[in-house]
Amino acid sequence: MNPFDPEDYPLRPTVRRLARLWWDERRLVLIGLACALAYSALTLTVSVLIQRAIDGAIVSGSGGELWPYIVAIMALAVARFWVNYTRRFATSRVGIRLEARLRQMLYAGYLRFPRAFYDQHPTGQVVSRATNDLFPIRYFIGWGVVQGFQSAMMILGGVIVLALVNPRLTLYSAVATPLIGFVAWRFAHLVMPISRRVQAAKGDVTEAADEAVVGIEMVQAFGREDDVRHRFGGKAASVRDIVVRQASVEAKHLPALFFLPTLSIAAVVFFGGRDVIAGRLTIGEFVLFNTILLQLTWPLEALGWILNLAQRAIASAGRTFAWLEEVPRLPEPEHPRDLPAGPLGVTFAGVHFAYPGEEEVLEGIDLDLQPGEIVAVCGGTGAGKSTLLNLLPRFYDPTEGSVRLGGVDLREVPLATVRDAVAVITQRPILFSITLRENLTSGRPDAPWEEVEAMCVAAGVADFAPDLPDGYDTLIGERGVNLSGGQRQRVALARALVTGARVIVLDDPLSAVDTHTEHDLVMRLRPAVEGRTVLVAAQRLSTLALADRAVVLEDGRLVEDGRPADLLEGKAAFAGLFGDEAGVA
Amino acid sequence: MSHRQRTGLTRLGRYLRGRWGFVTWLVLVATGSAAAQSGGWLLVRAAIDDGIGKGDRGTLTTVVAVYLVVNLGGWLCQLMLIRGLASVGQGIVLGLRRDLFDHLTSLSLRYFSEQRAGWIIARVTSDVDAISDALSQGLPTLVSNVVLLPTTIVVLFVVDWRLGLVAMVILPPTLILSRWFQRMSAVAQLDVRNRIASVTAQVAESVSGMAIVQAFNRERQFQAQFDELNAENRTSNVWAQKLFSVFFPSIELLGAISTCAVLVVGAHLLGSGELTIGTLITAIYLLQLVFQPLQELSDVYGQLQAAAAAMVKITSVLDTEPDIGDRPGARPIGPIEGAIDLDAVSFAYGQTDVLHDIEIHVPPGGCIALVGQTGGGKSTLAKLIARFYDPRAGVVRVDGTDLREVELNGYRRQLGVVLQDPFLFSGTIADNIRFARPEATDEEVRDTAAAIGLDRLLRRLHGGLGHEVREGGAGLSAGERQLISIARALLANPRILILDEATSNIDRPTEVVIERALDRLLHGRSSVIIAHRLATVRRADAVLVVERGRIVQRGTPAELAAAEGPFQQLAGALETPADLPAADAGARRSAVSARGRR
Repeated sequence: MNPFDPEDYPLRPTVRRLARLWWDERRLVLIGLACALAYSALTLTVSVLIQRAIDGAIVSGSGGELWPYIVAIMALAVARFWVNYTRRFATSRVGIRLEARLRQMLYAGYLRFPRAFYDQHPTGQVVSRATNDLFPIRYFIGWGVVQGFQSAMMILGGVIVLALVNPRLTLYSAVATPLIGFVAWRFAHLVMPISRRVQAAKGDVTEAADEAVVGIEMVQAFGREDDVRHRFGGKAASVRDIVVRQASVEAKHLPALFFLPTLSIAAVVFFGGRDVIAGRLTIGEFVLFNTILLQLTWPLEALGWILNLAQRAIASAGRTFAWLEEVPRLPEPEHPRDLPAGPLGVTFAGVHFAYPGEEEVLEGIDLDLQPGEIVAVCGGTGAGKSTLLNLLPRFYDPTEGSVRLGGVDLREVPLATVRDAVAVITQRPILFSITLRENLTSGRPDAPWEEVEAMCVAAGVADFAPDLPDGYDTLIGERGVNLSGGQRQRVALARALVTGARVIVLDDPLSAVDTHTEHDLVMRLRPAVEGRTVLVAAQRLSTLALADRAVVLEDGRLVEDGRPADLLEGKAAFAGLFGDEAGVA
Repeated sequence: MSHRQRTGLTRLGRYLRGRWGFVTWLVLVATGSAAAQSGGWLLVRAAIDDGIGKGDRGTLTTVVAVYLVVNLGGWLCQLMLIRGLASVGQGIVLGLRRDLFDHLTSLSLRYFSEQRAGWIIARVTSDVDAISDALSQGLPTLVSNVVLLPTTIVVLFVVDWRLGLVAMVILPPTLILSRWFQRMSAVAQLDVRNRIASVTAQVAESVSGMAIVQAFNRERQFQAQFDELNAENRTSNVWAQKLFSVFFPSIELLGAISTCAVLVVGAHLLGSGELTIGTLITAIYLLQLVFQPLQELSDVYGQLQAAAAAMVKITSVLDTEPDIGDRPGARPIGPIEGAIDLDAVSFAYGQTDVLHDIEIHVPPGGCIALVGQTGGGKSTLAKLIARFYDPRAGVVRVDGTDLREVELNGYRRQLGVVLQDPFLFSGTIADNIRFARPEATDEEVRDTAAAIGLDRLLRRLHGGLGHEVREGGAGLSAGERQLISIARALLANPRILILDEATSNIDRPTEVVIERALDRLLHGRSSVIIAHRLATVRRADAVLVVERGRIVQRGTPAELAAAEGPFQQLAGALETPADLPAADAGARRSAVSARGRR
């Protein structure tokens, strides 16, 4: 069992937690329930008044006045309008608020979940859990609960009214009505798995489209358009097949929901009609039966829907609560210590690391960085360089051994302090869809602009930023300008420098920049990182020019350590990695 | 708006070809269903007046039996209608989606670089889905209610024209109310959709950039941004719900008013003996049938509007003409030798040329390297050779034939292209290697992987070649992805290989393995290499230095290294790594030459 992929919350605790959240909105909840009760009473009374009007004032020979009935019906109808409006509005607000709150709680959780959580779950899943997955909860809380109560009241009240008028006819005519609820429930029950499959099939279509669009250059370069079209067409056809299957379930159930009430009408007309002929039932009461039975159709149907909605809402809430409660956060120290002032040294002491359920990537790393020292980590593709680097900002904790900053174990320092002290540049630079300026200062919003500009010069952002459409105020990302890989890397670099962090972690920071530009940047970077401790993963000799010292990582262990120039002269791992590159041309 | 909708509809009509008979049948079925629903009440009237009123039990029994049969018929009609409409609607959706996708994949790279990926994908997915929703949910409601409303009104007039008039008095305010609601709620729903889209975008961006959010302690700012969007979404939802909360009770109120009106008018007519009690009762129920379609149509109105808007955007894609494609009379191309000639080629993405008067000649089996600073035009040159773009002036020839005169697909199938940030498709690593030649055997895939040193990486991964690649290759390092895409290009057995910064994230020893494999595998084939790392270009027959869209220097690697010029400047960045403290350049060079040059 992976702790970062917890099982869904069990039924009872889920219901309890959901009920607590619901009851937090009790003012609106109580208004809704009161209105539901009033609505049922008003609706039934209106029906009874119509019956009285027919029997007392309309049927020939009754001789009564019609106007009082009409006025009363109208007054009650207006009252019912207000009650109905108030119930709907109050109740839907409860659902909307609860949805917003759950989403906020989830998002707050996301911001604190460790990297290991994100290694487990695809982005799409994490996003939809905080968006689409919450909708059933909103519908259930914002409509289902109170509508269910109202339906129950309507059915109860309707049956009582009818039974008071004519118990035998009530029995005959109401026989088929529970079927309405059953059919609605069964339909929802059958259609849910299918509509989930429709969603999944649509997800496949999206994925196929996404791949073809993002990978279009590959597709066209190899002339494989027909393959991807065939693949996409297949996925699109399976969406059609499932939607048609869904329609066939609808066809089997939905028309029945129209047909079943007509059975009751038939029963009333037949048995009630005979009673009217026999003088046991007035024509008004005959109308009352029809009216109330038609009025019960929707509440019965609604109960079926609500039952199903409840299942979905609870399943969804169970997943949500499981993430909120069970996903382990990186533990914060009980007695937090502070980092010493001034430049910080970095120590890896006997560090082992394995991703959950996988083999060890780091098998005992011992490495000391003096304050202000620049050390390069070299090694073949997949040697574990990035993993080692990811321990320093405490993205992960080592499975064994410790990582220390200024002599203090990272786990004894508040997380925020560690991350203030350590700035990171990831291998694939991540920028946000905001302006270039905001991206640059996102690590330290109050940075004075002169300082930012200086760092932009050092990181090579100043070389291209003025040429962007709006200079530093250009919007970056999907809705703005797409920067090239090398430009993105330089922005990420400048952003990290701007933070003023005392330790900088660079994961192959200039791989997308040409060698000539890189050479320039390295020259400018050295003064910019003066006094800061830097750990840099490097693939090219030109990046290594930045470092005072290099270590070589091979199969999870450090096999070499020394000055790059000295290592190059040796015949061992480092020279193997870079030797022939040093003598180009 | 109406004009746009028409263009949309005519396009959809195309997918109904050969099914018009079926569509006509469905309209008949819908009419049957509506007739059963409103006609049933005529039977109830007969039961009351002829059966109950006259005390005739026999007639009562007969009428009730007929009533049940009619409703059973209505049931069957609805059943057929729902199935039939789904089959027709989904046929349209599938046709549209396929055509749209086929069209998209035939558009040139220029289109994909001008449009955002997310925008394009939304056309094939959420826009087509909007049309699908309208067709599968909206259409049955639309068809049955559009038929039901007039049918019911006709039946009302048949029952009694004066009660029919009462309905006509109630109808205008109901229509006005529905119209108001449709307009308001369409705006409100659009707002809700936009708000939830912003929330989703915020969550998606923070989730995919979480490493940086957390590394820079930006949690609080992101939470604040999110809270704002979440609150906006909440507010807009509340407004939309308020509209719904007003509309449905209003319809209910209008229903009560109409019932009262019928009671008043009916009582009057009943008193003067012009109306039967059965007619009066029937009219009350028929009136409710008038309100029901209006309510349901209001529900689907938003869906129909969203579909119309989606169709406009889809049309804009379908109307984009592919600017790179086979010309009329394009010839099929046989196996090529691999001679590449660029004659006086100039090229511009927009107005200004980014390549000026380029001359390149590669003999069959030759290897050229393009070097120079980022943004100089190296990648654009490679893209012209792959015919992702056509030159603005000049000609690109392969084996002496202008590329614009041959069939594109046949040419590209003889290319192998590797990019700096290679894209991996979902599926296993083997699937990815096999992408360009799906018929390749497992053994061929294994051998190719081993030839470039990919086997070492595969041992580390669960399942080896069968390892499932996660979205876009997440979980694999940049170097690993490059290795896989090189294997992909090699397996394609290309006549021309284009490597655009293909090994920038790969360590040098692995790159050497790859180069040896290339030497062996590409014997007698042409290649174009773009590289940052100068060690990489040593295997080229000729090196071309590209600066600001011009070739400023060319020669063999040895010649260029010896001559003063731009290449020495580029190389100089490496040649004197003064930054490597206390480096003894001489010693280093001898160590290298001992390793030997090709």
